[in-house]
Amino acid sequence: MSTVPAFDLAVRDDPAGLAVLARARWPGRSGEGLPSIPGFIVSSFSPLVAELADRCLRRYFGTSPADRGRGERTAVLLASTSGDLATAAAVAGAVDAGRRVPPLLFYQSNPNAIVGYLTARWGLAGPVVCTSPAADALGDALRLAVLLIGDGDADAVLVIVAEQGTPGAGSDRGTAMLVGPKSWPPAPTRQEGDE
Amino acid sequence: MPDAAARAPEMTPYQPAPAPARPAPAQPARQVVITGLGAVTAAGRGTGALLGLVLAGEPAFAPVTRFAVQRCRATVAAALPGSPVLADELAAVIDDACAAAAMGWADRNGTGLLMALHSDAAAARDPRARQATGSLAGEMAQRCGLVGLLRTYTTACVAASTATADAAAMIVAGQADRVVVAAGYLVDQDSFAVFDAGRALAADGQLRPFSKGRRGMLLGDGLAAIVLESAAMASHRGAPPLARLAGWGRAGDAYHVCQPRPDGTGLARAIESALRRAQVGRGEVGYVNASGSGTVFGDAAESAALHRTFGPAVRSIPVSSTKSVHGHALEASALLELVATVLALRSGQLPVNAGFLAPDDECDLDLVLGTARQRRPGYALSLNAAFGGANTALLVGAA
Repeated sequence: MSTVPAFDLAVRDDPAGLAVLARARWPGRSGEGLPSIPGFIVSSFSPLVAELADRCLRRYFGTSPADRGRGERTAVLLASTSGDLATAAAVAGAVDAGRRVPPLLFYQSNPNAIVGYLTARWGLAGPVVCTSPAADALGDALRLAVLLIGDGDADAVLVIVAEQGTPGAGSDRGTAMLVGPKSWPPAPTRQEGDE
Repeated sequence: MPDAAARAPEMTPYQPAPAPARPAPAQPARQVVITGLGAVTAAGRGTGALLGLVLAGEPAFAPVTRFAVQRCRATVAAALPGSPVLADELAAVIDDACAAAAMGWADRNGTGLLMALHSDAAAARDPRARQATGSLAGEMAQRCGLVGLLRTYTTACVAASTATADAAAMIVAGQADRVVVAAGYLVDQDSFAVFDAGRALAADGQLRPFSKGRRGMLLGDGLAAIVLESAAMASHRGAPPLARLAGWGRAGDAYHVCQPRPDGTGLARAIESALRRAQVGRGEVGYVNASGSGTVFGDAAESAALHRTFGPAVRSIPVSSTKSVHGHALEASALLELVATVLALRSGQLPVNAGFLAPDDECDLDLVLGTARQRRPGYALSLNAAFGGANTALLVGAA
């Protein structure tokens, strides 16, 4: 288990004894590409979210699904100031050109969709929350995760912060942290690619 | 099921057993009350227009004139006349709620603002406006003088109810004495086109929750704002509560990208969490303002959740979906429906479930049909469910 400054700030006065149980980030090694996800097209946003979640959850739970007791009490919180820019642009482009919008963009255009994909695979049945913080997405998300746990609807929260790159404004990047009680077992072992 | 849902990735969903939610009830001084409301729908601006709409049960759907729909299957929505501006409408509805709560500008300083918004169509076309969703929230905070925590929720149809639950949690935890929750959506060409492409919109031009022959949702303009505060703060400044937010619950389905878990266990867990937090028994719930989006699978799953929670007694709990008259306002819908629920409790009349054709065996509920029902229950539930298996339940107690 480890802590980071933003998380320390979020839980500074929290009596519940929370910790970062696992974490992951993107990009990792140079030259890596995001795996595609069947049914998700045009945009790297959903693959970025899924890859961050998978990396983080694998480090803690091993293979999917999570064990039932902890999985059912784990929420997912996806925060992004950028949102899915490429999907929104694809919809706008089709509308402006008078073309029919690709049907797959119907569900993909909402951030909940990729969260539904990963919660089904990992058996995470806690609350699903997506936000667009005005600033400091990670700090805001961690504060919200602590609130959510303290409020009782979840014991742990998978926090995912994902920002989509644009030409001239950097590449796709993100962080995932599994925040939960210190009483949960630590992640089993460090794995290849761990930070 | 929309075609797009059929093309979503095939998965073998995990099968969760019912998991206990563990919210603790709030101490009396930290109980959460609603002191201000504001609402806008196609029926007009103000809570009076909303109450009149949902009690009359006359759908506000009409041919779309705001943009071209010739290439679409569906051609109607519940839209305000003209070309309303989202920022202006939002600022006005927040001001309405603050005025109803007797909040002066001094009261607004230190009050946080949690918003629920759909993605901005302009931002999709202008990279310089790429953070427009968050920017709009900042603009609202500035225009309305709300200086405090600021956050925007984008969790689709549960965005506003999640924001409401989080605002209440902050008050109970002592992190805030008062929070304004606001949400807004105006029907635009991008969202209309994408929902139409997904075959999610009812081509017959009616939103028919829980009815046999229902064919999907329809979009509608919707904006709402509420002022939530601790009972102690409201009492201290002499603001009369309009209602209590007695409980709230959130839970996930862990099931699918865009389909609800058919047995309704996720939504049922959200309801149970809300009831447990409020320490309210199932028998005390006298009305359910349902998510009821008019989709085949969504309404059946919600009905299953209600049966799972209330058992045979569900047949004596009046249920209606006000989306049947004001349409689906996406991220704003849950707040609009919460406002409608509060107004219904205060009026002693329960809203109509419009668009009904015939009973559906999968939706065996006591629907409010035809005319508003005279009833003044002590507690009412406002339910919402969204893509990704997100579920929320808000329990409103009469003031």
